[in-house]
Amino acid sequence: MHAPKPLTATRVAATCAALDSASWPAGAIVLRTAPDEAIVLVPTKDIEPGLIADPHAIVEIESSLCGIWLDADDAHDLLERECDWETPSARPAFAQGAVAGLPVKLWFEHDRVLFVVSAVFANDFMERCR
Amino acid sequence: MSKESVLAHLWQQQGDPTRGGSVCAAGDCQSCLATIDGIAYTRMCRTPWRDGMHVEPHPHGDQLPALESRGNRAATIARTMHCDVVVIGQGSAGLAAAAEARALGRDVVTLDTGDGQDAIGIYPGPLVVARTDAGMWHLYPRIEIVVATGAAEIQPVVPGNDLRGLVTARAAESLSAAGIDLGRIVAVGTPPREVACTVAVGALVRFEASATDASRVGAVIARDDRGVEQRHVCDTVSLGLGLAPRDALLRMARGTNVHGVGDVLRAPDLPPCPTAGIVCACLGVTVDDLRSVHARGFHELELVKRATLAGTGPCQGAACVPHVRAFLAAQGAALQPPFTARPLTRQITLGEVAAGAHHVATPRTALDAEHRALGAQMERLGGWWRPWHYGDVDAEYHAVRTAVSLCDVSTLGKMQVSGPGAVALLEHLYPVPIVSLKPGRSRYVLLLDERGYVIDDGMVCRDGETRFTLTFTSGGSTFAELWIRDWAESLNADVRIMNQTTSLGAINVTGPRATKLLALAGVTTPPAFLHHDTLDVAGICCRVFRLSFTGEVSYELHHAAADSVVLWRRLMELGRDLGIRPHGLEALMKLRLEKGHVIVGQDTDFDSTPRRLNHEWAVRLEKPAFVGRHAVIRTNAIPLDRQLCGFEMDGIAPAEGATIWHRDAFAGYITSATWSPTMRRSVMLGWLHLSNGELPTIITIDGRPARRVATPFYDPEGARARA
Amino acid sequence: MNEFVERLVDLRWPSAVKPAYDVVIIGGGGHGISTAYYLATRHGITNVAVLEKSYIGSGNSGRNTTIIRANYGIPEAVRFYQRSVDLYESLEAETGRDVMHHTKGLLWIAHSEAGVRQERARAEVNTAFGARTEYVSPRQIQEICPQLDMTGQGQWPIYGASYHPAGASARHDRVVWAYAEGAMRLGVDIHQHTSVTGLQKSGDRIVGVETTAGPISAGIVLSAVGGHVTAIAAMAGVRLPIRTHQLQAFVTNRYAHTFAPIVASSGLGVYASQTAKGEMLIGAEIDRAPAYAYDAGHQFIRSCAFRSIALLPFLRDLKLLRQWTGVCDMSTDYSPVMGFTGAPGFLVTTGWGTWGFKAIPVGGEQMAALIATGRTPELIAPFSLDRFANDRTMADRGSAGTH
Ligand SMILES: Cc1cc2nc3c(=O)[nH]c(=O)nc-3n(C[C@H](O)[C@H](O)[C@H](O)COP(=O)(O)OP(=O)(O)OC[C@H]3O[C@@H](n4cnc5c(N)ncnc54)[C@H](O)[C@@H]3O)c2cc1C
Repeated sequence: MHAPKPLTATRVAATCAALDSASWPAGAIVLRTAPDEAIVLVPTKDIEPGLIADPHAIVEIESSLCGIWLDADDAHDLLERECDWETPSARPAFAQGAVAGLPVKLWFEHDRVLFVVSAVFANDFMERCR
Repeated sequence: MSKESVLAHLWQQQGDPTRGGSVCAAGDCQSCLATIDGIAYTRMCRTPWRDGMHVEPHPHGDQLPALESRGNRAATIARTMHCDVVVIGQGSAGLAAAAEARALGRDVVTLDTGDGQDAIGIYPGPLVVARTDAGMWHLYPRIEIVVATGAAEIQPVVPGNDLRGLVTARAAESLSAAGIDLGRIVAVGTPPREVACTVAVGALVRFEASATDASRVGAVIARDDRGVEQRHVCDTVSLGLGLAPRDALLRMARGTNVHGVGDVLRAPDLPPCPTAGIVCACLGVTVDDLRSVHARGFHELELVKRATLAGTGPCQGAACVPHVRAFLAAQGAALQPPFTARPLTRQITLGEVAAGAHHVATPRTALDAEHRALGAQMERLGGWWRPWHYGDVDAEYHAVRTAVSLCDVSTLGKMQVSGPGAVALLEHLYPVPIVSLKPGRSRYVLLLDERGYVIDDGMVCRDGETRFTLTFTSGGSTFAELWIRDWAESLNADVRIMNQTTSLGAINVTGPRATKLLALAGVTTPPAFLHHDTLDVAGICCRVFRLSFTGEVSYELHHAAADSVVLWRRLMELGRDLGIRPHGLEALMKLRLEKGHVIVGQDTDFDSTPRRLNHEWAVRLEKPAFVGRHAVIRTNAIPLDRQLCGFEMDGIAPAEGATIWHRDAFAGYITSATWSPTMRRSVMLGWLHLSNGELPTIITIDGRPARRVATPFYDPEGARARA
Repeated sequence: MNEFVERLVDLRWPSAVKPAYDVVIIGGGGHGISTAYYLATRHGITNVAVLEKSYIGSGNSGRNTTIIRANYGIPEAVRFYQRSVDLYESLEAETGRDVMHHTKGLLWIAHSEAGVRQERARAEVNTAFGARTEYVSPRQIQEICPQLDMTGQGQWPIYGASYHPAGASARHDRVVWAYAEGAMRLGVDIHQHTSVTGLQKSGDRIVGVETTAGPISAGIVLSAVGGHVTAIAAMAGVRLPIRTHQLQAFVTNRYAHTFAPIVASSGLGVYASQTAKGEMLIGAEIDRAPAYAYDAGHQFIRSCAFRSIALLPFLRDLKLLRQWTGVCDMSTDYSPVMGFTGAPGFLVTTGWGTWGFKAIPVGGEQMAALIATGRTPELIAPFSLDRFANDRTMADRGSAGTH
């Protein structure tokens, strides 16, 4: 496996309602990691003030995530070996949990899957998924 | 078997390869165990033959296989599969169950030992774990598990049952079908199908050795209908003595959606009460042994098992349990249920069971490669890989005390809390006033649990009216997030929480020349002590916190983790003429100890109250409510028993953990100790017991005189940090 | 002849439950039975019943990894367990029974500077309180246990260890039986398949028990139950700071006896020894976060096998025989709770968590002394229940949560 590459991302903590109704930049991949948190794969400057209807929202640059796209077959093989839990069948879909014993976020598209891992584990991830 | 087994192959080539005892050829008994290609306790009957295989049948008796694993072996692969139904066993009942489930449109996975797939256990999940020729399978059925493992044949327990040439009826069938010549066969009980044999009518009495080979059977004695013993000369005895269900998987799966089909559901046949012979061939337990322990008060099946160890060998009681039950029933007790079923139902190696497992990963900061390039010895500490030193602890120490130094503190827990409920939440969580903290200011805080024990410490930094940054210890940040989210939830606090521990890098710039270095990095008005600000430092946007752990002027620079390397390199470059060098944790431990700073986890214990830590100044009981307040008030009313104190003595530092003595009485122990290059003596923190209500001053540590002294040891007024 | 068949112990069961005893002990595990034994042998108190809901030793006393050691982290614990180590060493001579006691030596391995610090501290406090433990270098470690991978498969290098020569093991069931036989020979009644379902009160005082075999009056009731102790104590109106966690272990098949010591690693969270039978017996630290226990059975064995191979590579090709689980009563400070409860007539010995097998002799000896004299012996005074109310907890972080 190639080394996962740093992702450009923005992390938003806000009320659930504000995240539900946010109008994210067109085409942005939005990883809804928790009811009150989303990671949006766009530069932070693209998240304009008003976009999230929560005056107390925390919007921060998230520069510590790495990602790698695998085509659907490779992703399936990897997950069969390294993931104990059942991944969603809908597309697109987001899921997160342990993969290769590391905290990983997964974004499933029709023919490919994005594996997102914190840079603090990027080396381990690469070594374990070789 | 779809392929020829090792048992059949060797039998064909060189005659019966087993070392005695009745052979089932179905994976239930222990008679065909061998060391195959270096792996002991492998059943010849379940292993497909490959040319070049090395097979060493197990010796009988006390000789045990070597405790070793030779050479390298490719790691076993593990696969996880999710399906609707798992069917274990592909005999007629299992095949039908699988077909039925498929007809309902279900996604079915089948396992059959004939295809090299052995289910080894059913676990909560539900999870079926199987060893297959293609590696380990972890199967998660959504709907149900069908166990169709059939029944095992009952083994004979009579004198001579350890001879060679004894086979079960089904083994006689399968071995004959494989073209093996078993010689003259005499069948006892149900005869084998489609195998030429003589039938010995009546009950089995004993086996007799052959005149020419004392290890082999030569005749079988059966008592006929009239009660007369008849001797039947033979080369092989086929034994059709009844069936016992192979229901261990079914029994261990209690509570999951599992059901059995076919023979696995049948009631076990109860053999006659054994009177002589080996009952448990795995451990060599005889009927006499059963009698002997029974006569001495061991009556339960479990106690008999434990007193003889019958049933604790490789066949896990499959062969002996029917006989032990029959024996106990004959002593007048009610028939007892078999042993509790537990994994593993088929034995696999540790290497196989470990397939796909990983160590708990230790995270690395963004500066990890930087530290290594600088020659750092990296250590696991507080749950992270951290630089322990860069080769010269003294020089690192002096860089901090006399010049300027960098330390990677990215591992600190870092969290933002924002919202109308933030002040109230933090007031509840921390034992000091939060509302009075002005934006731009920071405060040291303890985190207490409901029992009033210190569970972590850190800083609260106010960023705005409703917005805060919190820091925690490196080891404590995961717990702290759970703690704070739990409380936010319980109090229904209107807050947003973001844990930025791994998202942000943090570099501590410390030393008398730290302010100078920041100036070179473009910071003209650095924050004052316990203030913070967002500033551009050497081209990187940083939140700069002015605090101090080392005792010198310090600026903690929090920044986007991706910028860590650039920031670190620029600072190292800018500081060259200032005598900069980074310091690792070993130097940091010295520096902070000179300042008397406590490390939660090292200097504290499970039950460290603020009073015990001599940190009552960090708790404001006049605050009406905060977590731990009641407990602190309650325990403060109880006489103090021990306190964390500072000590000093001449000479080298004692071991951390060294005991403290006061006039021949144990008085506590040291939690941190170091030789202080600045003070020219050893300085320590440790737990000291009160004696007659007072903390002793003159004590003995390591057999040497020592003094309790006030902390900080170094720069007690704190002038240097504020400079 | 099979050397593992118990050939000496003779258990003479009582015929019927008497209506009254001086002392009723609930729970026929090691602690309940050894208390009865010491009451009878040391204090001549024999009008004693032990009530066991299943067979004796059916609880944790018959399913532990049998490690005996005194290398604890606080003085009170070191002294207490050292007394048990000594009692174990003389148990065979005292009872005339073979409990398969073997002194093996215990290595507690450090894989980091922080680990070294902890093992050095262990050696310091042990030595000061009469338990022999020394810090040893990698070279000494290799001499004691040549099978260790000193690099931890390149990931868990061994920096050093504490070595406790008195580390031992004994066959768990045989310990229970030796005490049971000795107690019954002197007239103690051990009733198997007799469950306690309630407590009899007279005012505040506990004066007897309700059982599946009828009511029994008692001068003193001692709860030595495992797993359900909070329920029994609640009947006496006593709240115990006990939580119940699962602890698991596994054994391999039998192999030639070539692994001499007991080896433990905090970094990897595993410990291993070879039984008298020849099995490798492997255990782990307790799961501290109950929420993590999802699929514990398989996750445990998979991960524990993996970690133990990193320490002892020879385990790789060994065949795993059986895994099992026990439920451990853990006190909030990871030390036992013994003695008076505040409810007159009702005593407890509990909180034995993951470490109570080694304490069976000393626990029984001291509880018997307490019952016989009505006073708490000095050795167990630190472990009384009122320590929680009095802010005198016995936190032992160095050895908590494992064998
Ligand atoms: C996997 C594992 C490994 C371990 N390894 C070690 C080790 O290496 N070293 C060590 O020192 N310790 C170890 N331990 C801990 C040790 O096993 C226990 O602490 C010890 O056995 C406790 O003994 P006990 O007599 O208090 O409890 P138990 O042996 O559990 O006995 C309690 C008895 O009470 C009975 N009972 C319960 N309720 C009732 C009732 N209402 N009426 C009547 N009877 C009742 C139960 O049936 C049971 O027999 C381990 C534990 C486990 C689970």
